[in-house]
Amino acid sequence: MSLQIKNLCAGYGKTPVLQNINCTAQPGELIGLLGPNGSGKSCLLKTIAGLIIPAGGQVMLSNKDVQANKAVQDLPPRTRAKNIAWLAQDRHVAWALSVGELVALGRAPYRGRLGKYSQADMQAIKTALSAADCLDLQDRSFDSISGGEQARVLLARTLAVDAPILLADEPTASLDPYYQISILQSLSCAAKSGKTVIASLHDLTLARQFCSRVWVLQDGQLVADDKPKTALNPSLLAEVFRIQTKNGFSVQIPVKN
Amino acid sequence: MRIGLLILFSTFATLLSLSIGALPISLADLIPALFGRGEEIHITIMQDLRAPRTLLALMIGAGLGASGAALQGYTRNPLADPGILGFSATAAFGAVLALYFGHKPWLTPAALAGAGIGAALLLGLAGRRKGATVLILAGVGIGSLATALTGLLMNFAPNPWALSEIVYWLMGSLKNASYGGAVTNTSLTLLGLSLLFWIGPDLRTLSLGEETAKSLGVRLGRVRIFLVVGVALCVGAGVAVAGAIGFIGLFIPHILRAIFGPDPARLIPVSAVGGAGFLALADSLTRVLSVNGTVMYLGILSALIGAPFFIWLAFRAGRS
Repeated sequence: MSLQIKNLCAGYGKTPVLQNINCTAQPGELIGLLGPNGSGKSCLLKTIAGLIIPAGGQVMLSNKDVQANKAVQDLPPRTRAKNIAWLAQDRHVAWALSVGELVALGRAPYRGRLGKYSQADMQAIKTALSAADCLDLQDRSFDSISGGEQARVLLARTLAVDAPILLADEPTASLDPYYQISILQSLSCAAKSGKTVIASLHDLTLARQFCSRVWVLQDGQLVADDKPKTALNPSLLAEVFRIQTKNGFSVQIPVKN
Repeated sequence: MRIGLLILFSTFATLLSLSIGALPISLADLIPALFGRGEEIHITIMQDLRAPRTLLALMIGAGLGASGAALQGYTRNPLADPGILGFSATAAFGAVLALYFGHKPWLTPAALAGAGIGAALLLGLAGRRKGATVLILAGVGIGSLATALTGLLMNFAPNPWALSEIVYWLMGSLKNASYGGAVTNTSLTLLGLSLLFWIGPDLRTLSLGEETAKSLGVRLGRVRIFLVVGVALCVGAGVAVAGAIGFIGLFIPHILRAIFGPDPARLIPVSAVGGAGFLALADSLTRVLSVNGTVMYLGILSALIGAPFFIWLAFRAGRS
């Protein structure tokens, strides 16, 4: 399923954040959403997920099988949920649910009120647990595992939705290098299996390594949409991120004003 | 296994409540009397007094237990409870208003409206904010206002009898249980319970936070309406019959969470069963303790058990 964003303007309440965003995403892509803090990355992901109603423009889903294009905001909640999975930046979970129970919440859009999990649900949960490499954590309580494991479990929860579009808001924030790479590998696998994956990231080196394309936001505007090596050129790095790099990407230093 | 033990406990409490009283009825006579067989006096006591009283205790306990579990699930806060969040006080104010103006038939609708207005006001004011503090502060504020208004009505009570009627009613008791009252209460509570059971799976998804729940297809607006109406029906119906009975909604889900795990979808029905058993047991206890003409009130007894538990809870939370 592909995603088309047309003249999108959106914000939190009456505060405008995003201005006139135009871009598309195709199945099989892992798109890195980059930009400084406050540039509108979370806002864009939430708007694509249907959590923020756009002030103008729209986010369209289109599928080769389905003739009609549909705007995300017009989809019934459950249909939207089956098509777009969103991983929140905040990793707080209210109760000490077990990892298995938590990942199973990803099947919420498919379940009836009293319904037991179907064969398909069980299969999706198991696939998600193994894709995020946390099969062995299944019976542990969520509050007893490490931050890196929690991040993987929440990713498994998102994968369990098995939606064609996967959005992840800073999935690698505050993780050690091993877990950052393992999360990006899982996202990369999801993209290779034909999903459309968009992840906001701060680590430009990881974005260069894993993303097939990057979108760079600055003050709510899309300033670059290209392959990472082309997009992340010295002038953009200085202009948007206020850094310069030395020895390829191995050393990053701030630009003096 | 664990659920079996819980059901066994509630069944035991039910039989105890049917058996204990001024005239004890043995287990052997109890079931036949319920169906109109055996000694005349047993049949009368069973059908006119004990059965409606026990049914009321079970229903009110179930409603309070499930309301507490649902409110805790929605607010994702283990301190939420119809008592602390002020709904019991607003329901009691509604009912006292009816008593004050001498319109006894309006007591149930007034209590329901009071609980509903209290719940809607609170969730409207603070239900969407993050963090427990705002919610509990707002609840305590609404509850205090309702209590003050109830006090005001008592202040202006036309005569000592009207005042004592209000005071005794507020202490909470099932001693005036009637067949008609039990039927009305049961139907309202069952309706409320079914609304709360219905939103159970949504409350479970809400463990991940409001935005993630929304991204998983949960309609938050509808969940909130079902919650407010469900809690108002359960609490309002209970308060209308038995006055303000506190703390069950707080500590029943708490104890059961430690046994059955924190999943709200499971905890709501489990707390209904546990709350029913607890209140039937507590009401039996009031009958044991009501000797020599002094009547022990159910509201007082359940607060006597619940309040120390709450203090212990706060103490433990403060240390961790």
